Amino acid sequence: MNPQALMLQVAARPLYVLILLASLWVLLRGHNEPGGGFIAALLATSGSVLWAAAHGPQAAARRLPWRSPLALGVAGALIAGLSGLPAWAFGLPYLTHLWGSLELGFTQIKLSTVLVFDLGVYLCVWGALAGYALALIGLDDAGPEDRSAHDTAATQETLR
Amino acid sequence: MGILVLPTTRRDLALAETTFFCALPLLALAGLVALLLSTELPLQGAAAWVPGLGVQWAWRIDGLSALMLLMITGVGSAVFCYAGGYLAGHPQQRRLYVLLLVFTLAMIGCVVADDLVLLFVFWELTSLTSFMLVGFNHADPRSRQSAQQALLVTGTGGLALLAGMLVLAQAMGTSSISEIVARLPATEPTPALTAALVLILVGCFTKSAQFPFHFWLPNAMSAPTPVSAFLHSATMVKLGVFLLARLDPGFGHWPLWSGALVGVGSLTAAWGMLLALRERDLKRILAWSTVATLGTLVMLIGLEGDSAAVAVGALLLAHALYKAPLFFVAGNIDHGAGTRIIDRLGGLRHAMPWTAAAALLAGLSMAGLPASFGFVVKDVMAQAKSAGGAEALVLFARAANTVFGAVAVAVAGVAAIRVFWRHPGVNDSAAAHECGPSLLVPPLALAGLGIALGLFPFLAESLVAAAGGAMTPDASRLLVSLTPALAPTLASLGFTLLVGGAIFWWWDALHEGFDRMASALDRFSARTLYERSLAALPRMAARATRALQHGRLPGYATVLLGSCTAALLAALAPGWATGLGPWPAPDRSSTGVAGACALIVAGAIGCLLTHDRLKMLLAAGLVGYGSALLFLFTGAPDLAFTQFAVETVFVIVVACVLLALKRQGRALSLAEPRWRPGHAVLALVFAGVVTSLLLLVMAQPLDLGVSHWFAERSLPEAQGRNVVNVILVDFRAIDTFGEIAVVLLSLLAALPLLQALRRPAAGTAREVRP
Repeated sequence: MNPQALMLQVAARPLYVLILLASLWVLLRGHNEPGGGFIAALLATSGSVLWAAAHGPQAAARRLPWRSPLALGVAGALIAGLSGLPAWAFGLPYLTHLWGSLELGFTQIKLSTVLVFDLGVYLCVWGALAGYALALIGLDDAGPEDRSAHDTAATQETLR
Repeated sequence: MGILVLPTTRRDLALAETTFFCALPLLALAGLVALLLSTELPLQGAAAWVPGLGVQWAWRIDGLSALMLLMITGVGSAVFCYAGGYLAGHPQQRRLYVLLLVFTLAMIGCVVADDLVLLFVFWELTSLTSFMLVGFNHADPRSRQSAQQALLVTGTGGLALLAGMLVLAQAMGTSSISEIVARLPATEPTPALTAALVLILVGCFTKSAQFPFHFWLPNAMSAPTPVSAFLHSATMVKLGVFLLARLDPGFGHWPLWSGALVGVGSLTAAWGMLLALRERDLKRILAWSTVATLGTLVMLIGLEGDSAAVAVGALLLAHALYKAPLFFVAGNIDHGAGTRIIDRLGGLRHAMPWTAAAALLAGLSMAGLPASFGFVVKDVMAQAKSAGGAEALVLFARAANTVFGAVAVAVAGVAAIRVFWRHPGVNDSAAAHECGPSLLVPPLALAGLGIALGLFPFLAESLVAAAGGAMTPDASRLLVSLTPALAPTLASLGFTLLVGGAIFWWWDALHEGFDRMASALDRFSARTLYERSLAALPRMAARATRALQHGRLPGYATVLLGSCTAALLAALAPGWATGLGPWPAPDRSSTGVAGACALIVAGAIGCLLTHDRLKMLLAAGLVGYGSALLFLFTGAPDLAFTQFAVETVFVIVVACVLLALKRQGRALSLAEPRWRPGHAVLALVFAGVVTSLLLLVMAQPLDLGVSHWFAERSLPEAQGRNVVNVILVDFRAIDTFGEIAVVLLSLLAALPLLQALRRPAAGTAREVRP
């Protein structure tokens, strides 16, 4: 294995976690500060692209929630769609957002269907864009077994 | 003894299923008769469907609907029973029954609907189900072709009908059919109404196989016989006639209406009958006579006067009662003798006596001989044509009807006499045999009913009067006497019989002569036109695809930028007259903005200088980062973040693709000349147009109303300080939902394409490896 790829692989793990945490932070602050589901999803996609560069697109897909970009996107769309349903229970039009707060004694957490909707946007866009990016990156990559075989061959070559 | 016998074997089960399906139309028929006997017409009601558009589930049963309903359920009962015998043991019998049932329901919906939109929905449903029914034997390529032809012709007509109905509903301000028909006579003709009328006529003419759309119906004869008997005698093809009759009280006084109906109807009646002479297949002969009868019906609707309306009702009923049995007879002959080609059939009366009896009874009615309902109809039609209308039109109609009547006699003779009484011994197989009772009772019952109504015409009087009354609302009660005036009708009948008999006698000679003459005309026929355009469509599509989808990115970019530039130029040209705004001075000197601009310029120049695509991509990335910086320094942090993330992902992904191409040994870049003046000019013009667009915008006072509205309501109403995000997830949440769904769907569409690109690469990689 070539040493630069090794460096990338070692660096990828903490960076991936860091990027995902940052994207979550951007998602959560989005309602009041710059940020939101779309931007957070783009950040998360860049994390997936990083993992694909280090370990291959198949591995990057496996690291996604639900282990597949398509499933992730569908789940996101479902969550976003379902977040509009509670409004019906109160006789309001679909996707009218509801707000509530949770008292925890020491602090108070604001909860809303807006956040659920934004989470759905985040997951759906992440899934769709990661799906595109990983499929494009994997254009000449036949599959995980091929990639590992290729890696072993490359490793043997460097060792020699 | 009260013991419930449960079906045990597979055969019993099939029988139980057939009985169940046959019981449905019979029950509907019984219920309908009970309803009609117990209540006064019209019955109507409505339920809300799309209140915002004024569209309702409105239904209305008047005399015309009642007649159609009786035909649908009556002939339907016969067809369902017949199908039980005709397709006994067929593995897909259940599919036929389900399709027939859906079709029947759609027909019922069509004739009781009192709302244009509702009517159209059922109308299209009949087109779709008839497509599946005509293509029932889908393993046969001819069958598929006929089904496609029927769908394309009636579907295209359906589109015209939809357009016409929408225009009509817009012009009249309502989609309720009864209201439109009631108000139309008092409405001034406008161009919109004329357009609606023409479009609706096209829709009805395609459905009812009128000239020049007549060619699809005989081809649809590749359907199984029960389907032909149902769709092409009593129901679907009558829908066009039905809608015309429905609208007749509204449009009847328009010269365009009567001209088109009488002209096209008469032409179809005469020409359709003559085309029957060209055929040797019994079922296709009957199909052409159906086309001709539909033409006669259309012609009668176009004629003015109450008696024409009565004639329409009577002919509708009579045709259903003789044409369906004749189709059944053709099916029986096919079943018993193995062919429907009349040259190979003869003397079948010994082998198939009951079928012969049914054919004779139905043939009597078709030829219009005394003691049959066809005779009564002939009499009513004679009255209708003596009643009135424009002189030339009536003369044309009369001439066409003479041809129609004479050839109808000959066709009845071919179906009822030729194959059963004449030419003995030409049969293909000596083993011709009679069919079972389920194939004999339906034609005998329908044909017998036709004779019974001929002997006692007063039985049908009230029904025909109610149907005629629905077409002439002014006359509150039509005085209908179906008892024929014998002398004049007999005289004209004698002439028709003489000519018809002559045609029947010299059928083969006439066939050859007419076939030769008509084949010379084939090159100009509507059918040829249809086939040519059907063949030309894929060729044109292929040519357009080759020209537009050549797979070269520079070509796509040129087309895209060029058309953008042209559109912008066209839109901006009027603005230049008022003058561009002044060149804006920067608000404040900011090193950040200046730096961002410098980055953009550096990236753009870098793109121009290099010829390597990878370097070009990196330089383009610089432009993107520069834009992101610019957004950041001009107060749009959301946009800046997005731009940064998009740019990063984009550059990495495209670089991966480029490197993958290189690894696969494909050319990284197609050879493009370094000096491309055309592209340079395009780039400069595009930049100039965009700059002038910006200057024009700057010259206008900026309306910040919407921005202020959102900014003020963001926190109090949506509890968020980030206006951009609040708009995305709250104010316009349904738009956002649509957008993410589109992004996801585009991925679904793109994945198979990308995987198709990948497979050959995997194959070559495997070959290269030892």
